[in-house]
Amino acid sequence: MKRSFKALTLGVSAVALIAGAAAAEMDYGSFDGYTLRVKLIGGAQYEPLYAEIGEWEEMTGATVQILSRQNHFELDREIKQDIAAGTLNWCVGSNHTSFAPQYGNIYTDLRELISEDVLAEFVPLVLEHSTVGGRLVQLPRHSDVSNLFYIRSLYEDEENAAAFEAEYGYPLAPPETWEQVRDQAMFFADPPNFFGTQFVGRDEAITGRFYEMLVAEGGQLFTDDWEPAFNSEAGVRALSWFVDLYDAGVVPAGVPNYLWDDTGLGFASGSVALNLDWAGWAAFFNDEDESAIAGDVGVTRAPMGSAGLRTGWSGSHTFSITETCDNKEAAASFITFLTDHDRQMVEARRGLLPTRTAVWDTAMGEFREAGDDFLAEVFETFQTSMTEDAFTPPLIAEWIEVSNELWPRLQSAMVGDMSPQDALDKAAREALIIMEDAGYR
Amino acid sequence: MFRAIRTRQTTLAPLVLLLPAFTVMLFVVAMPLAFSFYTSLTPYRLTRPESIEIYIGARNYIRLWDNAAFWAAFWRTILFLAIALNVELLLGLGIALLINKLTWGQRTLRTIMMFPMMFSPILVGFQFKFIFNDNIGIVNNALQSLGLIDRAIPWLVDAQLAMFSIIVAEVWMSTSIFAILLLAGLLAMPRDPIEAARVDGCNSWQVFRHIPLPFLMPFIFIAMTIRSLDVARAYDIVHVMTGGGPAGRTELLWTLIARVGYNNARMGEANAMAYVSTLLSIAFTVFFFRKLMAARRYMGGAE
Amino acid sequence: MSRAVRQRVQAVALWIATFLLMVIMCIPGLWVVLSAFRPNREILARPPVWVPERLTFNNFAKIFGLGDAQVAIPVGSYFMNSVVIALTSTFVALVIGMAGGYAFARFRFRFKNSLFLSLMLFRTVPGIALSLPLFMLWSRLGIIDTQMGLIIVYIALNVPFTIWLIDGFFRQIPMSLSEAAQVDGCTRWQAFWKIEFPLAKGGIAAAGVFAFLTSWNEYALAAQLTRSTDSKTLPVGLMDFTAQFTIDWAGMSAMAVIIIVPALILTFLVQKHLIRGLTFGGVKG
Repeated sequence: MKRSFKALTLGVSAVALIAGAAAAEMDYGSFDGYTLRVKLIGGAQYEPLYAEIGEWEEMTGATVQILSRQNHFELDREIKQDIAAGTLNWCVGSNHTSFAPQYGNIYTDLRELISEDVLAEFVPLVLEHSTVGGRLVQLPRHSDVSNLFYIRSLYEDEENAAAFEAEYGYPLAPPETWEQVRDQAMFFADPPNFFGTQFVGRDEAITGRFYEMLVAEGGQLFTDDWEPAFNSEAGVRALSWFVDLYDAGVVPAGVPNYLWDDTGLGFASGSVALNLDWAGWAAFFNDEDESAIAGDVGVTRAPMGSAGLRTGWSGSHTFSITETCDNKEAAASFITFLTDHDRQMVEARRGLLPTRTAVWDTAMGEFREAGDDFLAEVFETFQTSMTEDAFTPPLIAEWIEVSNELWPRLQSAMVGDMSPQDALDKAAREALIIMEDAGYR
Repeated sequence: MFRAIRTRQTTLAPLVLLLPAFTVMLFVVAMPLAFSFYTSLTPYRLTRPESIEIYIGARNYIRLWDNAAFWAAFWRTILFLAIALNVELLLGLGIALLINKLTWGQRTLRTIMMFPMMFSPILVGFQFKFIFNDNIGIVNNALQSLGLIDRAIPWLVDAQLAMFSIIVAEVWMSTSIFAILLLAGLLAMPRDPIEAARVDGCNSWQVFRHIPLPFLMPFIFIAMTIRSLDVARAYDIVHVMTGGGPAGRTELLWTLIARVGYNNARMGEANAMAYVSTLLSIAFTVFFFRKLMAARRYMGGAE
Repeated sequence: MSRAVRQRVQAVALWIATFLLMVIMCIPGLWVVLSAFRPNREILARPPVWVPERLTFNNFAKIFGLGDAQVAIPVGSYFMNSVVIALTSTFVALVIGMAGGYAFARFRFRFKNSLFLSLMLFRTVPGIALSLPLFMLWSRLGIIDTQMGLIIVYIALNVPFTIWLIDGFFRQIPMSLSEAAQVDGCTRWQAFWKIEFPLAKGGIAAAGVFAFLTSWNEYALAAQLTRSTDSKTLPVGLMDFTAQFTIDWAGMSAMAVIIIVPALILTFLVQKHLIRGLTFGGVKG
């Protein structure tokens, strides 16, 4: 793997900073003969990082035993089983900011294990998102937030521009507001061969999309004393945005059943004009071998809702250490290593968003140097949204449960079984019961 | 004295022979079931292990009475089973009759017939998810290429089509089992009466209704009983294809239970649902088993 | 045309018609097999690519970690786990099934029908209701993520149906045969092995195929009770092709072929016994 000299020096200095906290030696401690038991998230985009584990083993003399490596939802179920059966006999687990609050106190507070100097190098907002109930239960590995990808040539076409301005009364440009996204989606759509935009339609995915739209419309999920408040006017406006586009047929007819793979592959097939999507897809969209629109992809910050706020649903993949861990120092050394400057560069080169401030700059410099202006632009755009727009769902244990009440009702409105107001009212009633049962009210 | 030992042996022997079977069933099924019954009487949540010690009586069950989503899933599951099992039976019977007619080359076709049985339910789910995809799925692409439709049909979204699609997947996976069991029945059947009836001038339907059909009835009930034993494996298919959505249109008991139990971590409530769903499976099985016994008595074959 | 020739032509026509019908029925499965040899871009293309432009073994190479692939799927361990678990559980289920089937077929005892039915009803409990209690029980016993843990579960899954088939089969064998052997000085045990077992082989083979296919393809319980390459089976391995955001359909299809082929070969080999076994076993049992 080629590394620019600049990246290398920066990497070394980052390591030096960490080591500086642990006296002068440039290492991660020594845990000779110790076997660290870990559970990691698996899948193509996560695996390259694990190839680095050998280096840590060599430095510390410890062995890493990967107990399981599966996708996030399987891992979530496995951890819940472990809690139930009392088999938390492992040390490090992959985690996610949206899932972490569910696990109660099984994970330890990392502020007691990792020095302030190290933590100071992470993006502060991301560390805040990793904190549950005042405890830093996870160390962020990479973050994600969505921005708007679009097919550039559609906007460079002068005929399009003239026709659009004649019809909608303002010049055609990458959209700044969701209102404009709606206009442009309607303008570009030519079903069933070409669609204006698309969105995911099931599971926590649509809950999240609705939630960020709700925020952008000036609404909130819960009042300050945890009463569900998403059935407000802002909520109806947010949901109607999805419903209207679905009714108009400018999104694929199957969206209520779509998940991330459907939207990603759909955009790459070149049959969708605008696509709000995660940073992780950027490299894929621009890859000649995978995508029909390589070289023709534009990216712009996620548009604003009527409240002037941008949609910025965000989450981070993280590592946590169990309370029951028998060698927390080794575990802390391990996750610090996996999230250090060089390790984050391994992931950044594949388009994943780093959580250390310095890595952003190194990565962008490296992309520029290599002449990859697209990826540099992507990182610039995403850095802005990570620092200015990003927000997480409420970090409460009941989030997934509330989501499971909410998304079937969002679908009901989309497919026309209920009006948006009725759908949200019904979901709010169910959510209220969950919150009451959980003792919030 | 010799006689006495013999008698004791004959009463003991079946018990000894059945002991392994019942031991393994008690160990793997009954014990976990007893445990899950207990948890259905608690507000047990996976993420709060201590909640298993709170006894709340039948509250989970009482709540189920008012749970509209549960009852919708309950009736939808019955509908799903009724349609799927009957379609599988009819198709399986048709295939069995066809193959039975062949005078040579049966073995190859029998193997081809069993091809879908090689597919794991989880794979069948993924396979039909792609086949029915509205944008890049093979079904819509074929219909569009043939010029039969000019817009994408949302197979997995539309109120009727979504159920239709998961039933197609389930039928595809399980028709072979019916076909092979019924084919076995046909092959075991004496041919002479049919020839005689033909000679007497009966048409095919008359022949079929009066001779093979009564003979096949026990086989049909066997197939039905066997299938109703493991219908729950349709869970894998539905879970992958639609996740019970959209808007709960394809929600079956099993997807609902899995979501409540694992995603929402409310195991107590989920186990109460699971108990009701077990009763449903038992009802189906007992129903067909009774029919089977009756058909056997009618045939005069049983003891 | 002579009568014989006409019959022959009719038979061929019927065979071809049936064959075509079977092929149509198999299309959804054949599509998976075809996908195993095509790149993702072509399978998921829009507009569709009907005639494959090129067939490739890349998907298989990727699974085994050859070429420029990222990470190999530990398909070797999955395969071995599947083989060990499916074969062992089938064998034990058959032994238990023979014992049970023989008991039901050859002895009279109280509550016989109720016992038989109750054994069947154990099987109706949906896996989703068993998964958590089983997990907790198994973790107390320390057999989570072991081949043994899954083998025990699959034995229980297969015993009821195995008993059913074998019971029916033993009933078809006249009691007088083994009685005659016993008169000639054989013990009941010897009579069973020398007379009844050889006659029942077809039925046992049929039960074996069903049991094997059930274990080979089971996913829901295996997903709960296995975690690592120590015990993960092939169907669970299919999930390695799904990540949070993507599904590698071509890779999954290639893996599917690896799962299907051994099952298909086995079925073809014992197919003759299978039909014979079912024919004689089912009806009067």
